[in-house]
Amino acid sequence: MPEFTLISAPPLAGYDQSFDGVTLSAPADLAIVSIALPLGGEAAAENAISAAYGAALPAPGKSVLSKDGKARLVRLSPDAAFVIFTHATPDVEPHVAARLKGDAYTTDQTDVWTGLEIAGPRARTALERICPLDISPQTFVEGDAARTIMEHLGVLIIRTGDDGFLLLSASSSAKSFLHAVETSIHNTA
Amino acid sequence: MTQPNRIEGGQVDRSKEVKFTFNGKNMRGYAGDTLASALLANGQRLVGRSFKYHRPRGILTCGSEEPNALVQLRSGAHQEPNTRATVTELFDGLTATSQNHRGSLEHDLMAVTDLLAPFLSAGFYYKTFMWPKAFWEKLYEPMIRKSAGLGSLSMQDDPDSYDKGFLHCDLLVIGAGPAGLSAALAAGRSGARVILADEDFTPGGRLNAETLEIDGMGGADWAAQALAELAAMDNVRVMTRTTVYGAYDHGIYGALERCTDHLASSDGKPRQILWRIYSKRAVLAAGSTERPIAFGNNDRPGIMLAGAVRAYVNRFGVTPGQQVAVFTNNDDGWRTAADLAAKGVEVTNIIDTRDAPAVCDVPGARHIRNAAVMDTVGRKGLKSVTLTSGQVIPADCLAVSGGWNPNVHLTCHQRGRPEWRDDISAFVPGRDLPVGMAVAGAANGAMTLAAALTEGRDVANAQIKDLGFTASRKTAPKAEDEPRDCAPMWHVGESKNRAWVDQQNDVTVKDIKQSYREGFRSVEHLKRYTTLGMATDQGKTANIPALAIMAECTGKSIPETGTTIFRPPYTPIPLGALGGRARGKDFRPYRLTPSHDWASKNGATFVEVGNWLRAQWYARPGEQGWRDSVDREVVMTRNSVGICDVTTLGKIDIQGKDAADFLNVVYANAFGKLPVGKVRYGLMLREDGICYDDGTTARMGENHFVMTTTTANAVLVFRRMEFVRQCLCPDMDVHLISTTDGWAQFAVAGPNARNLLRKVVDEDHDISNEAFPFMACGEVTVCGGTPARLFRISFSGELAYEIAVPARYGNAMIEVLMKAGEEFDAVPYGTEALGVMRIEKGHAAGNELNGQTTALNLGLGGMVSAKKDCIGKTLAQRPEMNRDDAIRLVGFRPVDRSLKLIAGSHFINQDEEAVMANDQGWMTSVAYSPSLGHSIGLGFIKSGHERMGEIVRAVSPIHDTEMDVEIVSAHFIDPEGERLRA
Repeated sequence: MPEFTLISAPPLAGYDQSFDGVTLSAPADLAIVSIALPLGGEAAAENAISAAYGAALPAPGKSVLSKDGKARLVRLSPDAAFVIFTHATPDVEPHVAARLKGDAYTTDQTDVWTGLEIAGPRARTALERICPLDISPQTFVEGDAARTIMEHLGVLIIRTGDDGFLLLSASSSAKSFLHAVETSIHNTA
Repeated sequence: MTQPNRIEGGQVDRSKEVKFTFNGKNMRGYAGDTLASALLANGQRLVGRSFKYHRPRGILTCGSEEPNALVQLRSGAHQEPNTRATVTELFDGLTATSQNHRGSLEHDLMAVTDLLAPFLSAGFYYKTFMWPKAFWEKLYEPMIRKSAGLGSLSMQDDPDSYDKGFLHCDLLVIGAGPAGLSAALAAGRSGARVILADEDFTPGGRLNAETLEIDGMGGADWAAQALAELAAMDNVRVMTRTTVYGAYDHGIYGALERCTDHLASSDGKPRQILWRIYSKRAVLAAGSTERPIAFGNNDRPGIMLAGAVRAYVNRFGVTPGQQVAVFTNNDDGWRTAADLAAKGVEVTNIIDTRDAPAVCDVPGARHIRNAAVMDTVGRKGLKSVTLTSGQVIPADCLAVSGGWNPNVHLTCHQRGRPEWRDDISAFVPGRDLPVGMAVAGAANGAMTLAAALTEGRDVANAQIKDLGFTASRKTAPKAEDEPRDCAPMWHVGESKNRAWVDQQNDVTVKDIKQSYREGFRSVEHLKRYTTLGMATDQGKTANIPALAIMAECTGKSIPETGTTIFRPPYTPIPLGALGGRARGKDFRPYRLTPSHDWASKNGATFVEVGNWLRAQWYARPGEQGWRDSVDREVVMTRNSVGICDVTTLGKIDIQGKDAADFLNVVYANAFGKLPVGKVRYGLMLREDGICYDDGTTARMGENHFVMTTTTANAVLVFRRMEFVRQCLCPDMDVHLISTTDGWAQFAVAGPNARNLLRKVVDEDHDISNEAFPFMACGEVTVCGGTPARLFRISFSGELAYEIAVPARYGNAMIEVLMKAGEEFDAVPYGTEALGVMRIEKGHAAGNELNGQTTALNLGLGGMVSAKKDCIGKTLAQRPEMNRDDAIRLVGFRPVDRSLKLIAGSHFINQDEEAVMANDQGWMTSVAYSPSLGHSIGLGFIKSGHERMGEIVRAVSPIHDTEMDVEIVSAHFIDPEGERLRA
């Protein structure tokens, strides 16, 4: 037994609230690994991703679920993507790297981000107060992913359901981000 | 008191009586009233005093163009000055007070100003109060400000909250009058996403004020029906109480929604929302504004615009007077007479400037042709009017119509210039409209109802067809084209008394003529000299008459004379709404370090570093001030071991086959040969050769580097590197991603640093000096398998490491480090101690990398590799930047060791005068060195490296200090670097 142990304390761990028409929660054990497609090795990388996840890497601004439904592949730009899944400890980068067999570069992004899932019939109304993007159902379709700014904070927004969104923002400003989203829900209630 | 001027009809809800007070007097109105209509209903004609002359003023209009009826609403911290009674929705419990008078509204002591009018003409303050010079700021200006002016602020924090938001649509329709409703219906029926915004609480625009029919029903009823149809459409959003106040780039519009201004309390919800509306296309259907005619004493309470008078009668069931006269130069004025007569209000005379037959039959009214009003009587309310013929007509209300001006304001927000149309004697939108905007209805010069309805539909259809929608085939609603002939008359020349053009800023016809005589030929100059159009109403009723009077002076036509254009906002926007949520601690987001919770429980004082909150020092009981804490932290670190959260430094993960080559481009020094498992200090230059940023970069693998940047430049360096990657080196295989927030990183510094870390780093990792020497790095595990990164780097000059763990373990990590360090008396240290130790060690930081200094200045000239190119290298070779006497970074200590050095002091040679020409350099950073027991400093001085031991003067004219300082090595502590290699 080591003399000391480290206790995990992600900034919004355990947050889960219901409001009238909106639920807001911090997804537990969110793991994020970035994938960079090598210059000249894009095809090999895409093949490796397909083989590993049973789903083709989508176009930039889109995301898809892996074949087993356990991971989401988000294409951020021509040569960058995130794979988002559930894993209890922040040591996932080697696992993803192993699945891709060296055909892409990987970086652990798990603790870089804090996640908030917002869902419910009033989710869009609440987001209207902070999200500059058009996230109406017909414009921002399920699986769409976009980077934007909410209350001065960089955010990656992914539509994960009919009226559900996953918001990722920097973990150091997690409390300010939560406050921004909660205030929006309160102000539109 | 009953409501003496309340008559039958209107859209007010008589089942909901509303109590309010004006100047403490209890009054009653109905739901659906504005404050103005309720005041008129209660017979209150006098509502305020004018800006400059304290003239008694009443209500001129029924809309947002109102110049006179400005009141203070609510009380206490909620008090809001300068609100227009004409757009204030009445609610139960509303308290309103009049503004700008000393003593009561009826007996304003400042009314004496009016008698001084001959001395207060246009530009008086440019001509008088000039002497003695010193009196302006201390006496004249405060005096003028006190007597002039409008309402007053509560001087308390605004207790309301405000919000902002973002909306998107295919078509934004601005204004819900006939043209706007027709446009929204057409677009809505086609399936386009439509936002219809209207400033009123009851959309419909002039339809609510008129008796005109559409599709066989009353205009107001048709509007209500149209709104019901729109409300039922999922693709249409109707926003009432929402003013679109500005047209910005790319089809973006600003809008202010007043959510709770019509309620007694906001109930914890935002009072107003400032919307940013992203539209693909827009239809401006802002309608038109009636213009007055200037004549002597035309500002008395009871003198109103004709369209407003009939709006009060038709919409609110209130007559502004019992004995009404109409003064008009156009057909529309007759409509007021006809509507009033139909409601049983006595209309005595219709004074028409035109020598033309009656437009319609008005029972009981005498038609006076080819006549004009030249003066009026009635100090606090109109009693009679005097015609140019000398005839005196008793009246308590004069309805004036000078024609209508299209509301072109938003078409000008991107410098579009309106164009004159002779047939309607008014400016219409020019051809240069904001991108995506089209104009319909009266705003576009379609001044009749049928024309407005048709144009609204057609323009909307054209706009959405452009977007690929199929326009609905439904025809435009049917209505008549009402008569609208107009013979422009701007002011009555026969008037001897002052004739007001801009009633809010008290500018008269005479002022305009005087400004012309004094040489102001441009309309823009006229405006600034007389202040015309510069009040909160922005001259909505004054600009065009003023321009016309100016044209008369010049002998040119109105379009030749020019036009003023408009800027946002269309109506005033409260600063609270512009601020939105950004106030107090929510002014901006804050970033917390992973050990923030622990630090706040352990005596930390935090300092804002960008958005970060960093521990500045950790106070212990008994310490008398920050210096005690900082000195202790330095001493204990240097004697044993200290721990500092350095998470805020930027971290950039760099991968790719060309990663090393890429680093050679962005860094001045070479990285190609850095072995895996080693760290190197790197210096970045700007394109112009000035130092940009510094930090360390670790080679974690052949194709994998981890760069650190300064806290301040973390984002900027990342952005710059992306630019280099994408634009300068697109052929390189290199990929960047920020990991700043992902790792909690702690500096562990001091002779016992290794001993402490041995207890934390898992045993299978050898961190002995031999296996893990100075500038080594590697992946390790801590506390039984948690992944971590270890770097042997030192900012303090001590034996030091930086250890990084996933951020979620950061708070636990500092607890572990402190616990493991107990036997060594480990201390946490903050940014102050960090700063002291780096100054002691002679390390450059932000004060030295200030955007003006070169590698040579910093003593790092040798780092700019001669063997490779890098950003900034060429321009760093400019001769001026390589002068022999260039400033160099060196250390300083006071000759009298008891003195405290002052950062910012400039160095002057011993025998020279302390003037700019003799400037030798400046002190960048100072600190008290607990290790040395005296003040030390870093600074730049000419040829500093060759002047060791020389005494110069450190002069600070700001502090009025001067002291002798000795030039010494910047490395005050361990110049040979033995400690950090131990």
